[in-house]
Amino acid sequence: MFSQLLTSLAEVAQLKFMIPLVIGTWTGLIGGAIPGVTITMTIILVLPFTFGLDPLQGLAAMTGVYVGGCAGGLVTAVLLGIPGTPAAIATTFDGFPMARKGEPGRAIWLGTWASFFGGLLGAIFLVGLTLPLARFALRFGPWEFFSLFIFALSMVAGLTEQSLLKGFISGTIGLAITVIGSDPIMGAPRLDFGSEFLSGGFQFLPVLIGVFAFAQIMTDLEKAGDGRRLEAQAAPDLSVSHPAVVWEILKRPFLLVWSTLVGILIGVLPAIGSSAANVMAYDQAKKISKHPEKFGTGIPEGVIAAESSNNANVAGSLVTIMAFGIPGDAVTAVMLGAMIIHGIQPGPLFITQQPRVSYGIFAAYILAHPVMMVLQWLSARFYLRIVTVPKAILFPVVLVLCVVGAFALNNTVDNVYALLIFGVLGYLMVKFGFPLAPLILGVILGDEIEKNLIRAIMTDPDPWLFLTRPISGVLLALSVGSIALALWQHRRTQARLAGVEPEAEADF
Amino acid sequence: MKRLAPALALLVAFAAVSLAQPAAAAYPDRPVKLIVPWAAGGDTDAIFRPFGIQIQKHLGATVVVANVTGASGTKGAREAKAAPPDGYTIYAMHDYIHLTYYTGVAGVKYSDFDPICSVSSTPAILTASPKTPWKSWQEFIADAKKRPGQITAAVTLGSTSHIFPALVERAAGIKFKYVSYEGLAPRMNALLGGHVDLGESNLTQKGKVQAGQLKFLAIATEKRSPEAPSVPTLKEVGLNIVYDVTRGLVVPKKTPGAVQAKLEAACKKAAAEPKFAADMALQGTEVRLLDRKGYAAYLKKTDDLSLNKTKELGLFKAPKN
Repeated sequence: MFSQLLTSLAEVAQLKFMIPLVIGTWTGLIGGAIPGVTITMTIILVLPFTFGLDPLQGLAAMTGVYVGGCAGGLVTAVLLGIPGTPAAIATTFDGFPMARKGEPGRAIWLGTWASFFGGLLGAIFLVGLTLPLARFALRFGPWEFFSLFIFALSMVAGLTEQSLLKGFISGTIGLAITVIGSDPIMGAPRLDFGSEFLSGGFQFLPVLIGVFAFAQIMTDLEKAGDGRRLEAQAAPDLSVSHPAVVWEILKRPFLLVWSTLVGILIGVLPAIGSSAANVMAYDQAKKISKHPEKFGTGIPEGVIAAESSNNANVAGSLVTIMAFGIPGDAVTAVMLGAMIIHGIQPGPLFITQQPRVSYGIFAAYILAHPVMMVLQWLSARFYLRIVTVPKAILFPVVLVLCVVGAFALNNTVDNVYALLIFGVLGYLMVKFGFPLAPLILGVILGDEIEKNLIRAIMTDPDPWLFLTRPISGVLLALSVGSIALALWQHRRTQARLAGVEPEAEADF
Repeated sequence: MKRLAPALALLVAFAAVSLAQPAAAAYPDRPVKLIVPWAAGGDTDAIFRPFGIQIQKHLGATVVVANVTGASGTKGAREAKAAPPDGYTIYAMHDYIHLTYYTGVAGVKYSDFDPICSVSSTPAILTASPKTPWKSWQEFIADAKKRPGQITAAVTLGSTSHIFPALVERAAGIKFKYVSYEGLAPRMNALLGGHVDLGESNLTQKGKVQAGQLKFLAIATEKRSPEAPSVPTLKEVGLNIVYDVTRGLVVPKKTPGAVQAKLEAACKKAAAEPKFAADMALQGTEVRLLDRKGYAAYLKKTDDLSLNKTKELGLFKAPKN
């Protein structure tokens, strides 16, 4: 197995494969950095260019897009506070405050190095444990998926800021948004008030970009009214001591491995993918931390957790396609399409029958990481420019890119309207002190929770199965534990903040 | 900053030009969107992606496959129906459209579109999870008769994957319990994991059968398939069922005749490409080309059949409009 991997690494390291890999990774970095342009959209854009290539060249390019896209998303997240891709939602939580505190370079490189280590650790699991991981994923039926998503939803309790109540309201709004439109099983219209616009429901991306980009930009614009100049922050210096940054990551081996594991597992399970993995890893990091109250203020743990998990997630989603030929997410579905177009039928015997292609994908995945590092280093001077461009020019450009991305999703203007609606909603929520992360989590999870609940009941009406099936039961128990821990941490933080009055109930 | 300004101006100018396209130019002068109403990586997608590559050669324009998924393929159908009838939106039609209409899932009917051509035909195979105890059709049928309503079948409600087991159910005098799984990939995941017992699949899953991860119970063709010679036909086991899924291209009604003719000509040439036949063989599918007239007649025939079947099976609901 490892000799085959070495052969493939040597093969892919040839110029013939490195050129598409580098171009793919670079395209991914750009696509990932533009808010509103997802990795899926970028990979679909790259797909036609790969038709004329050898299948492995094409797949190397697409693997590069996938890995590069994850790293690109962090740049926007750190510098603008807007996730460039859904995989970088949690990167904004600490990466952006860190950049605002005058350390944009540290934030970007912490994220990049964490992506690098998370991705390579993920590769070890991908190559060494493909079949066991895939078999584990198959044990997830509707009950397990339902409980997993409930567990994911329980993170809302950990992601609230000052007020628990406001956090829960935000999460509920998110869930309610997913109810609008045709229901996922029967296609019956719900809450559409007879309107064609509402009957289509809301897609995740316009909601995400609307809520984050619009709210962030409007909040920044407000400061203009305070008489402050809309100029760049002082001392925009992206240079950092790389050994120091690497040490910051490696001195927290448990955090790194744990976040990587979260990323892999969410990636292996076909459903929610990287948009949830990074938030979950962030929440886990906060739970195991000795100082959870510092999360959200710009600490390295938050950036490391989010970024190592989202690159590991890529490895996870490659697992099911390798093991069974079933795509784990939209990106691997496009890769599967590319293989079929090249006359390769992925299936359970894919790795043994097509070692050159399958190990070639592994090799491309591994090599994409150093390539991504080099490209990130070369691009740093352009990132500097993002920081130095006056906001009066930067913000309109970012907003235009958001609108273009939302439109390109389905080529419908409806998504642009959705972007505007949720932009205003997000801004109002920020104004009134509601956290945005729970809302996003609700939107990610709502449909999946509903679908799997209905499937489970259709398969067997016995509700106890949710508790008696072992994986499902454990996940539900973890959800309860996760909420309890979050409440305890919240109370302790509030008590500390309140100082002499530990029983501060004002916001609960 | 100063160096950025011209670049930005250029960007704005570019955006303005691309938005203000002239309406009247020779078709096709821009990319054509092919709406596939199912997820990327599913069987419909795997047929139309290679087809898209072939037809764009003969059409002289880029064909972009757009997977518009949701609600049993209904979302994509609605979007295609509402698209401007200019030939820049084509729809990947699947026989399910008659069924979603007559089962009350969606108000989109085949006659909301004009047919261009049919492309492929995929025979249905009743497929079982490896966790089920049956080694043959006979063992399966005996067990099914013993436990009516307890064997679970993964289906996309009101779609061909639902009608096919329902036909088997009725002909064999047995009863399944249906569970909703949208599309082939989630259905296969559920079968592989043993979360459901049965489902419809096709010859693309042959590899998983050889690896012992799935079991083919019976195929709904006239004669045994050379691709899977050990699988009995439903006719052999005494059920008079032949069932396949035909897929083709349609355009929104009122698309100009000249545009339709151009698409039809490109479709004919694309379907005749040997590469396409080879790609379809990988998909457990045969190339089945019918022209505008032939496909229209076929659609009319399957529509009548679907109406009868849904009524027979008690799945009929008043179509919504």
